[in-house]
Amino acid sequence: MQRGLPMQPTVVLLREGTDTSQGKGQLLSNISACLAVAETLSSTLGPRGMDKLIVNNRGEAQITNDGATILKLLEIVHPAAKTLVDIGRAQDAEVGDGTTSVVLLAAQMLKEVRGYIEEGVSPHIIMKGYRLGAQLAIDRIKEIQVSIDKSDSARFRSLLLKCASTSMSSKLIHSEKPFFSEMVVDAVQCLDQEDLDESLIGIKKIAGGGMQDSQLIRGVAFKKTFTYAGAEQQPKSFKDPLVLCLNVELELKAEKDNAEVRVNAVSDYQAIVDAEWTIIYNKLEAIQKTGAQVVLSKLPIGDLATQWFADRNIFCAGRVTAQDLRRVVQAVGGSVQSTCSDIERKHLGTCGKFEERQVGGERYNVFEDCPISKTCTLLLRGGAEQFIEEVERSLHDAIMVVKRAVKNSQVVAGGGAVEMDISAHIRAHARTIPGKIQLILTAFARALEIIPRQICDNAGLDATDVLNKLRQLHARGDKWAGVDVEGEDGVRDNMEAFVWEPSLVKTNAIGSAVEAACLILSVDETVKNPQSEGMNPGPRAPPGAAQRALRGRGRGR
Amino acid sequence: MAGPYSDAVYTTDEYGRPFIIVREQGKKTRSHGVEAIKSHILAARTVANIVRTSLGPRGLDKILISPDGEITVTNDGATILGQMEVEHQIAKLLVQLSKSQDDEIGDGTTGVVVLAGALLEQSEALLDRGIHPIRIADGFERACKIAVAELDRISDRVEFSKENTENLLKAAMTSLGSKIVSKAHRQFAQIAVDAVLSVADLARRDVDFELIKVDGKVGGSLEDTTLVQGVVIDKDMSHPQMPRTIKDARIAILTCPFEPPRPKTKHKLDIGSAEEYKKLQVYEKEKFADMVKRVKDTGANLVICQWGFDDEANHLLMQNELPAVRWVGGPEIELIAVATNGRIVPRFEDLSAEKLGKAGIVREVSFGTTRDKMLVVEECANTRAVTIFVRGSNKMIIDEAKRALHDAICVVRNLVVDNRVVYGGGAAEISCSVAVAKAADDIPSIEQYAMRAFASALDAIPLALAENSGLAPIETLADVKSRQVTENNSKLGIDCNARGQNDMKEQFVYDPLISKRQQYLLATQLVRAVLKIDDVITAGEDNE
Repeated sequence: MQRGLPMQPTVVLLREGTDTSQGKGQLLSNISACLAVAETLSSTLGPRGMDKLIVNNRGEAQITNDGATILKLLEIVHPAAKTLVDIGRAQDAEVGDGTTSVVLLAAQMLKEVRGYIEEGVSPHIIMKGYRLGAQLAIDRIKEIQVSIDKSDSARFRSLLLKCASTSMSSKLIHSEKPFFSEMVVDAVQCLDQEDLDESLIGIKKIAGGGMQDSQLIRGVAFKKTFTYAGAEQQPKSFKDPLVLCLNVELELKAEKDNAEVRVNAVSDYQAIVDAEWTIIYNKLEAIQKTGAQVVLSKLPIGDLATQWFADRNIFCAGRVTAQDLRRVVQAVGGSVQSTCSDIERKHLGTCGKFEERQVGGERYNVFEDCPISKTCTLLLRGGAEQFIEEVERSLHDAIMVVKRAVKNSQVVAGGGAVEMDISAHIRAHARTIPGKIQLILTAFARALEIIPRQICDNAGLDATDVLNKLRQLHARGDKWAGVDVEGEDGVRDNMEAFVWEPSLVKTNAIGSAVEAACLILSVDETVKNPQSEGMNPGPRAPPGAAQRALRGRGRGR
Repeated sequence: MAGPYSDAVYTTDEYGRPFIIVREQGKKTRSHGVEAIKSHILAARTVANIVRTSLGPRGLDKILISPDGEITVTNDGATILGQMEVEHQIAKLLVQLSKSQDDEIGDGTTGVVVLAGALLEQSEALLDRGIHPIRIADGFERACKIAVAELDRISDRVEFSKENTENLLKAAMTSLGSKIVSKAHRQFAQIAVDAVLSVADLARRDVDFELIKVDGKVGGSLEDTTLVQGVVIDKDMSHPQMPRTIKDARIAILTCPFEPPRPKTKHKLDIGSAEEYKKLQVYEKEKFADMVKRVKDTGANLVICQWGFDDEANHLLMQNELPAVRWVGGPEIELIAVATNGRIVPRFEDLSAEKLGKAGIVREVSFGTTRDKMLVVEECANTRAVTIFVRGSNKMIIDEAKRALHDAICVVRNLVVDNRVVYGGGAAEISCSVAVAKAADDIPSIEQYAMRAFASALDAIPLALAENSGLAPIETLADVKSRQVTENNSKLGIDCNARGQNDMKEQFVYDPLISKRQQYLLATQLVRAVLKIDDVITAGEDNE
């Protein structure tokens, strides 16, 4: 690490081996680091974006096109570059889509001002300019965004479909866009429209079959749990059953682990045995009395109970995961009971149809036609595990976009159209102000053009050519002109072509990109302690990362 | 894969010092761009070439030796790939692809890999011409749609019923054609058809595989394989003097041990005097007598027990002329219960006459000179559970025969679910290839090239079939293709068995439509995924 340093007399101030780099050089090298990260990511943008195959040190492979996922898997440790990872993740958490764009934007903003830094412009001026630019950009988006009319539900639905399909266009499921956007919109509309908690959309992955075999269950579905002998004799299909959800173990077993029974007389022996049986039978009878036909429990349901239920035409499933059980309760009503006594009708849920069904090679328990259905389940199919995982990520993005659109219902045109428009707007505005800020605003405007430029590059179009056409169109006031990767001349009105994105995705992306760029610009010194082991000359990592790093090494041993 | 982490992420600062962006950067390898795609294509093609020679009725088998020295002989695509333990990521995708075909359809696992390999091979040429990989994938997908539509068009419905199973038999025979069992070809096909039809619900078009059990035992020859309308369990009577055959069996199915009940809670019995000790003995004896009596009272004449019982109980059962079987596993207990309409009883107190299972005959069968015995439960109250009992001269053959039967059963199942078929022997591929090539000419954009490539890739299947059958591949394919077009007969395929007849309908070579359809869709999807990857980042091995 020290090898390239020029010889200089040093005053020992910090612990030996501590790396202090400072000044302009440090700033510039931070910028290079960010650019390097962004470059790795850039080829995934847009409908013709490519995927990355990332293999971790345990040999597990992931194929993905999702910016946030890639950044996570790259395990970036450079402190400045880590900022990019963080904004990618923040964008993912906040709006769920546009993670690649936000990283590209931030990196491009840094790249555009690199020259000014070299020339000695103070980073503070740049930051001021960028903040102004961000404000102008967000105002402009608010000005031009188009509100979706929610009153006409059929039209609203078709608008949501378009938003969903735009977010899918760069993913593996591109060719099945209509199919999956229907699915995503249906799924979001199943939810409580006030709350829109997307964690209530269950996603189950079943290897095998084609993507087209994926389905949406309006209700809950989960994989058949481990069952004991006797489960095959239980009825597997009900109409309007009462559903009881328990958190009770139904098994013949030691009541308390540390209890010990001392029997003094042989005659008492049988009494103890009977007592144990009575305990479990009482529980089972109490359950039967509630009239429940489907009994689910978070804890195991043993073979005895399974057979007992089978004799009485009751379906049971033990070891249901907490999340599935929560969603069952959401869908069918009732509540999870921790005891078998005093269960009343109001604690039980109901649904229109319950069934055990074959999906691919697995059997699934499916609850449908639920009365207070605020949940749904996506059963994803695909040829390989990695496929399904990527499908899941793509659907997650689309679900988030639809959710945002339902909540905010303001959209802008995608495909670089809105970026070009803001760029044109800011450029025009820049000419009205004197001073260095003018230069910075122009740089900001140029940085925004990275989005359409990268889409063109990835699609194999001549980026310079297309961008010039777009600039001309936007100067004429054609505010929704964007990149067209399909057509002949590469440009079209993306509002009319239904390439739409919720405006929140864009405002958030620009906002956080500017913040990240400003953060990196304001750093001019890194003080890095040598690592105690000295094996990994990585920089001092933030507290969370240090733990992760330790764990990472621990695994290797 | 490329050497060290390429310079895109490996950066130096103003003083020429390298700095680290990614953890353990030095250990990671990265390859990207066309180079990455090319290396993927190569890997996929290598895998495809391995299984290519096992395609078709004249396809050859592979021997796979596991790390423990266990030998598998097979020509089932999914099994070969599954046991090869491939390392390469893209090759792993192919393995999963064939597994997915296996899970969903159960047959055609080799074909799907060969097709995917051929598609990738074709796309390599297109990449060299500078066509964007995603445009290629788009083209493949359009072509795939056309091919699937063509499959629908040329498909035929086969009629069958419980009585007339001839057509199902033909389809099963096609699937078994390439397998080791072709010696007893018709017999195995018959077994597969009978097994599926006896568990199938023809009205709902549903087949529950759980009810078909495939069991095997070394000895005898493949011809001795039988279909048992009932359950076979690998157990014998608990006492050698118990009767070997029980007619009109009424079976008590118990999941409790034949011993005095014991509380589950930790317990201790304090015995203070000799008197107490005697009492205990009396109690135990009474319990045994009581248990046997309870069973007897219900009218049962056979006890199947999930747990064991000691010699004392065994002797008691013997004395009371109550044959019993012990240590029967959970799934088997369940199978017996389903087959005999019995109920599984968890304790003696719950026994009653209506909970007994009923079977026409239960017999113990012994094999050859070995002392291996098995219990066969036949003529059950519920005929829907069946067991296929495979015999063969060694374990490898039995395993391979089981896999072959699985494929055949799947084919029959698929036909029960959807009775549309296409013709095998490459006939369907040739028709689709012709249709796609024709449609390609109407496409104005670059996808045209990709579609033509798809058409050529489809030819790979008949080519491989012809090659494996010892025919001149290109000549044969050209001949059949031109005849298909001129005679407008989509039933013409490769005559692998040299019967002098290219009409696959005459030869009765069928494949279920859904199987072919699934092959095309899966292969196209996989190719898209592979083409879409332009960057591979591999973390290095951890050094210990």
